[in-house]
Formats: sequence, structure tokens, C-alpha cells
Amino acid sequence: MADRRTLLLMLVAGGAVVGGFRVLPSLVEGLPDFEPLDDPPGFRRVAGGSVSSGFNPFVGLSVGGSEETPARVTPDSLRADLCSHLFGTAARSEGVVPIASFADYYCPYCRVQTKRLSDLASDLGSEVAIEWHELPLLGETSILAARAALAAKRQDAYVAFHESLLTSPFRANAEYLSLLSERIGVDHTRLIADMESESVSRELEISAALSRLFAFVGTPAMVVGRTVIQGEISDRTLRRIISLEREEGWSSVC
Amino acid sequence: MLTRFKADCPRILAGAMLAAIFFSAASSQVGAASSDPVTTPAVTAQLLTVENGIAPGAGTLSAGLALDLAEGWKTYWRTPGEVGFPPEIDWSGSQNIASMDFQWPAPERFTAFGIENFGYHDEVVFPIRITLEEPGAPVRLSADVTLLTCSDICVPQDFVMSLDLPSGVGIDEESAARITAFADRVPLDASAAGITDVSAHVDPDMRAVVISMRREAPFVVPDVFAELGPFTSLGRPDTRLGDDGHLLWARVPILSAVDGPLQDLSVTVTDSSGFAATAAPRAVSEPPEPPFAFATSGVDIAALIWIAATAFLGGLVLNAMPCVLPVLSIKLATAMRLGGDGRIAVRRGFLASAAGVMAFVWGLAAVLFMLREIGVTVGWGLQFQNPIFLSLTVLVLGVFAANLVGAFEIALPSRLQTRLAHAGSTPGLFGDFAAGAFAAVLATPCSAPFLGTAVAFALGGRGIDIAVVFTFLGLGLASPYLVIAARPGLVRRLPKPGRWMGVLRAGLGLLLGGTALWLVWVMIGVAGPIATLASVAMTAVIVGVLSMRGVSGTARSVTAAALAVVMLFATGTLSDGLSSRGTIASESGGIAWLPFERGEIARRISMGEVVFVDVTADWCLTCKANKALVLDRDPVAASLGSPGVVAMQADWTRPDEAISRYLEGFGRFGIPFNVVYGPGVPEGIVLPELLTADAVMDALDRAGTRRELSRTE
Repeated sequence: MADRRTLLLMLVAGGAVVGGFRVLPSLVEGLPDFEPLDDPPGFRRVAGGSVSSGFNPFVGLSVGGSEETPARVTPDSLRADLCSHLFGTAARSEGVVPIASFADYYCPYCRVQTKRLSDLASDLGSEVAIEWHELPLLGETSILAARAALAAKRQDAYVAFHESLLTSPFRANAEYLSLLSERIGVDHTRLIADMESESVSRELEISAALSRLFAFVGTPAMVVGRTVIQGEISDRTLRRIISLEREEGWSSVC
Repeated sequence: MLTRFKADCPRILAGAMLAAIFFSAASSQVGAASSDPVTTPAVTAQLLTVENGIAPGAGTLSAGLALDLAEGWKTYWRTPGEVGFPPEIDWSGSQNIASMDFQWPAPERFTAFGIENFGYHDEVVFPIRITLEEPGAPVRLSADVTLLTCSDICVPQDFVMSLDLPSGVGIDEESAARITAFADRVPLDASAAGITDVSAHVDPDMRAVVISMRREAPFVVPDVFAELGPFTSLGRPDTRLGDDGHLLWARVPILSAVDGPLQDLSVTVTDSSGFAATAAPRAVSEPPEPPFAFATSGVDIAALIWIAATAFLGGLVLNAMPCVLPVLSIKLATAMRLGGDGRIAVRRGFLASAAGVMAFVWGLAAVLFMLREIGVTVGWGLQFQNPIFLSLTVLVLGVFAANLVGAFEIALPSRLQTRLAHAGSTPGLFGDFAAGAFAAVLATPCSAPFLGTAVAFALGGRGIDIAVVFTFLGLGLASPYLVIAARPGLVRRLPKPGRWMGVLRAGLGLLLGGTALWLVWVMIGVAGPIATLASVAMTAVIVGVLSMRGVSGTARSVTAAALAVVMLFATGTLSDGLSSRGTIASESGGIAWLPFERGEIARRISMGEVVFVDVTADWCLTCKANKALVLDRDPVAASLGSPGVVAMQADWTRPDEAISRYLEGFGRFGIPFNVVYGPGVPEGIVLPELLTADAVMDALDRAGTRRELSRTE
């Protein structure tokens, strides 16, 4: 009997070994290195990764007007009230870490980031506040999808909108938008009206100006408190950065 | 048209033309046949033409848009897959162009973040066949290119390139070679490619496209890309071969579709050695029948059987490993003690143990499969990169060893013991089951060095591969139990219990202790000496606590468990980071190993050198064996040390993203892994896991032009 009990005890230990080697590595993963941004001051970015310097700063290819009609929102005009533009109005209290997410319809990893941030938000509740930005990279479809996403955001369906795009390409026609509204449970008439609205246009221009201000090289990008992240990052590291922002306080950049 | 380019320019002409180039380059200012490159960190783009100038009367021009993508970056095919964006080019600034035929080389399939994409990595040249408005007159090519390049971020590119071609003659050999190489990858028409009987059925509720076709030469590892217009996205196909590979059947799931008329279906099929063809299938009213009910999807059945046999043998051998042997011997000892209690009890007990082994192995397979499905990189042996896993293993092995050499007995509180005794056979059976499962648990650390190949194959393959390999692994590990269950009488043939059992136990304990020492050595490399020292000290304390006399068993166990938790946290805190140390140069056996650097490989090859890459780790026993038996001995050591041969070592003892990605590029998830590159084989020759001097020497010979040198050293 003692032998069996020995085995049982060791079985438990062994199970812990096997379970542990998947779960525990992330516990010992440290914080990434940061390097300060020259501009805007006070912000920093996660060093290294696939996003090396050397890219021309991202200039939204087709947002906020073209050569004939220059963008009405210049990056410098946002400096005075940077945090409101970046994080929206939701995140003005200490203790809440604001996250600004920048995504585009054509970018595969953006879909992953949107899903992950929305999971994080539902997990952390009021500890974080996410502001969704759209940075349409390429062409008409990209812009229309961005407008539809921002219109859906006005009915609290931004994440639902992006999830509906996971397998289904965006189509800019009336039937598709009506079907989409039904699927994500939003008011169709309002969605169409909002897509063409001045407030959505302005939001796109602000997002584009922010991307130039922060010199994003592409999508996705996010700003967590005062930390700028581009490229892939583990969930654990992201959570650690959120905690760090909460401890250190991010409002110095505002 | 362009695909016949090679035929238009027979080799005999090429020599004459080469002479013409030198002549014309020397005598006149004919422009180079390529535009100034546009370079970003993601991509370098260039316009190329075969012709250096427009010859009198020439009505056509062979051009190409060349993209050199940096490591990790991709761009997309005309049908990009679920997301993505194909390159778009506006030629409106060009002059003297009547028409253009822009061709798409066959794409590759990428699955990133669970999203299917079709496109290109590394290098692609889009061949362009241009018809001139006014034959013989100068041409200006102006391309405004809009391109989406993605790694884990997407960066749009928008740039203009132009190329002026004056009147003149001459061929740019280099541009011609690049354009031709990719023109060869542009899918042929079905008839030209020997593809016949192409039929397809799109089911009415838009769930899948079922395609069938025949090919003169048999298919080897086909992939199927179906196109149904921009608003339909298609998933990963289930492809099956029949009729000795001449028949290809594929079912492509439709992930989302337009409501309304479909664009005509186009099917592109690719295969080994650059085969690609595009066909417009004939619509059929009933879906074509699959050649067989179960997919092989490009993986050879014979290979699967071979791997399954390896897994079975590997599992069997594992029983003799120091990690597992004690369990089996304890099990046998128990059976002997049962003695006359009859065959049925023995049989039941051993069957339960076998079930335990299988349960654990299948559970592990399921977990690995799930991890892979959600996109976690799983590998066999990777757990050795984790200091906490190592620490826990050292602890378990240490405690187990101490128990075997008799430092203490794990005794139950007497109350529980009595209850168990009265409960009949059920807890006994559970104990047997647990013993089997525990044998399998203990086998995991030992299996990494010995079963790397089979498990890596499984993890790189489909669900069915994982199932087959782990099942046979489990069967191999369980076979001693199954044999006893089949012939319980065999137990009686074993020597009767006696003093020798004590000796055996002590011997096994020492073996386990040895294994623990090996892991301690590995841990020093992974976690640093401080964390290792802490783990060893804590293990000693825990063993000490467990061995204390005169303290109740419960108290000892609780204290030990608490100490174990402290120990694991201490390891986590004290380990000196998880950073890679793959960049340290080292020297051994007369070979100067350079640190692994992927970019350096291409540079060295371009200088005509042969590059030998060895991915190794402290915890990889097979790697150690390869090193001791092959790499550090002549003739291999002499060759690797000779001029013109570069030995590069990637140390994977600690996690290293770059090395993991490099292995993944070869579809490998485990080590040992050795590749030889050279001017002869820039794509590299992958060597078998178990190296032989012949295999290495042969690969070095094939890779390099320095055959004599490496032979004579």
C-alpha cells in the first residue's frame, strides 16, 4: 500500500511538473526594455522587436484628404490636449490605465490585437479603458471598413464589428451592411448615417494625425498609458506594462 | 507568353548576346536594365527589364517588378486570402506602351494568427510582358506601386519607380535570370501542364468547393488555391491523392461568400519542384467522389508507418530509462508479492497500469494539439528551457531517489491505510492506473533526447499524425504491462523477492540521482548558478525533512510541500533571466564555432563559403552524442576547421525567438538540427538528426566547391 501511496503522491507532483512547464514560464518573464520617445515627450516605446527604426513614419496613404485637399487636423494641433484625442474622455481618472488601439481592416495581426484587447478589457473591467482608432492603410475598402467600424463604435459594437470581419470580407454595399447590422445588433439606419457623418470623418483625421505624431510605421499600434507598442507582444507582458503604468502613473504625459 | 521566354532565347544565342552586352556597354551609354531600387526596412523594390534597350523593330519587352522582402515580411498574391492586399500598380506615367500582361507567380500559403493568406516571402519577381505602341521607339516605364507588406505589423508602401529604355541592343543577363526564374513559377495553362479532367462542384448552400483533376505525372505534395472572386474567402483545403498520385481531389471550405452570382471559379495547383498550373474547371452537378475516405494530405502513409514504428520502439526503450525503470520494477515487485493471488488480479492490475500510460499520453497529445491550434509554438524538449520545470524535476527525481535508497518511506496515516484496505479492489486498481500514468509522466523528460524526431514530426503534422505518434509511443511504453497482462504467469518466472531487491532499489535510486545531477548541470546553463544552488539546497532540505524520524508523516509531507512551493518561487526569482545566449562564440575540438546569425549565412554563401549550422542545447543528449561521435572527430572536425568552411552554432539551451523561427522555417520543432549551406545549395541541405560522418562529409562536398580542400585536411 505504501508503494501505491508513494506513486499517487508522485503522480500529483508529476502532474504539477507537466502543467507547470506550460504555465510557469510566463510568470518569470520580465518586463521588456523601454526607450524614451523624442516626440511626443514623456512617452516611451518597447525597444527591439520587429519594428526597427528606419521606416518612414507612417503617413496614412489615403486618409484625411489627399494632395488636393490636405488634412484639416495637423499633428501639432493635437498637442495641447493630446490625452483626450488619444484616449478619449473615458480615462481621465488615476487608477484607470487608458489604452489607445490603432487597427486596419487589411492587417491580419490587427484582428488578433482587437480581440485580445477586448478580452483584456472584459477581464480587467474598469481598470483599463480602451479607445479604438482606425488607421485605414490602403484604398477605398479600407476607408469604408474604418468608417463602418467607427459607426459601429458609436453603438458600442466596435469589437462585434471586427469579429464579424474575422472570416467575412468587408463589402461596401447596402445588403451587406444591412446584414452586418443585424448580425452585430445595431441600428442599420443609424450605422449608415454615422458612416457618412462629420464626426466619423473628424475622428479618422485625428487618428491619422496621431499616427503621424507618434511616427507609427504601420498597424497595429497601441499606446498603453505612456508606452507605445508596435508588433507582437505576449499577453503577460502587456498585463505587466498595464500594472507598471498604474504604479508609475501615466498622467504626466497629459 | 513569357513562360516561353526560355525557348525564345536558346542557350546558343545567349553567349553571342553576352558578348554583345559587353560590347554595347563599353561603346555606348545604353541605360542599365533596372531602375534605382526603392528600399524600406521591409522591402526593396526594383523595376527590371531583360533588354538593355529597344532594338530596331522590337515590338515587345520583357520586364519584371522585383521585390526583395526582409526576413519575416510578406506580401500578397492577387487573391490574398482572408485578409491582405495584393500589389497594385498604376502605369499611367509610362510612354510607348500599348498593353501589359502582369503575371503572378504561384503563391505560398501562410497561416498566421489562425488566418489563411496567400503570398510571397523572401523574394518575388512579377514578370510583365509589354507590347509597345511604336515598335523600336524608346520606352519609359513608370510604376506607381501600392503594396502592403506585413510581418506582425502591416506597413503600407507607396512609391514610384521609373526606367527609361533608349534605342539600343543588349540583354541584361542578371535581370533576365531573375525574371526567368519567376516566370517559371507562373502557373501554366492546364493543358500545357498536363492537367486534364478538371471538374468542380460548388454546393448550393455555399459550404465548400469540391475539385477533382488528373495529371500526367503523379502529384507529390500538391496544394490547391481556389479563387471565387474578391468577396469569397476560402479555408484550408483537404487534399487527397488517388490513382497512384495521378488523381487529385480537394475540398475547399467556403468561409464566407457573396449572395448572388459567383465569379467563375479558377483553380491553381502547385506541387514539388516548382510545378504550378491554373485551370478553369468544368462545373459538375454532383461533387466528385474522393479517392478514399481518409486524407493523407501530402504525407506519405509509409512515412507515417515508419514514424509510428519509431515511436513504438522509442516508447519501449523508455522503460529502461532511469526516469521510468523504477516504476516498472516497483510494479513487478508488487505483482511478485501478490504471488499466488492468482492471474486475474495481476492481469487486472497491469491492464489498469497500461490504461494509465495511455490516458496520460493521450491527454498530453490532446493538450499539445490544442496548444498548437491556438497558435502556441510547441516543441519537444522546450520545457528544458524553463528553470521552474527543471527545478521541479530535480526535486521530484531527488525525492524519488532518496526514497529508493531508503532514506525514508512515504507512509500513510494508519487511519487511511485501514480504510483503503477495507475498500476492496477499487483503490488498488486506481493505484495501478496511477502507477501507469506516473510512468508516462516520468518518461517525458527522458523522451526529449530520444524521441525528438517522432514527436517533432507529429507536432509539425496534422491532428492524425499527433494521434498516431502518441498512441504508438504510449503502446510502446505500456507494452511491458500489456505483456504481463496477457501472460500473468511470466511474473512467477522472475526471481523471488529477497535481499537482491534492496540492492536493485538502491541501484535504481543512484540512477535517478544521476539523472537529477544531469538536470542540475542543465539548469546551471539555463537559470544560472544561484538559482540552481538554491534549488539543490532546497531539495536537500526537503529530503531531510521527509527523512526525519519521530515526526508524523502528515507533518513531514505538509512541510515538504510548503518548502517545494517556496523553492519554485525562489527559482523563478533567482534565475538570471530567460534571455538567449545564442550569440556566444565558442571553440571546441579545434573548430571555431561562430555565433548563429541568420543574415550572416547568406553573406557567407555569397562569398563562396560553405556554412555548417548546428542548433544545439545543453539538455539535448542526441546533440551531445552527435558532437562527440561525429562533429568533434576527423574527418568532420578537420573539414569544419578548414578555410572556406564556416561552422555556426546556435545555442537553444535558453529560449531564443530567432532560433525558434529558423527551425520553424524548416518545419522543425525540435533538435538536433544541422544544415549545410554553400554556393552549390544556397537553400541548405538538412542533415538527419543522428549524424554520420558520411552524411556530413557528403553534404559538405555537395555544398561547396572546395571539395579537395576539405578532403585533404
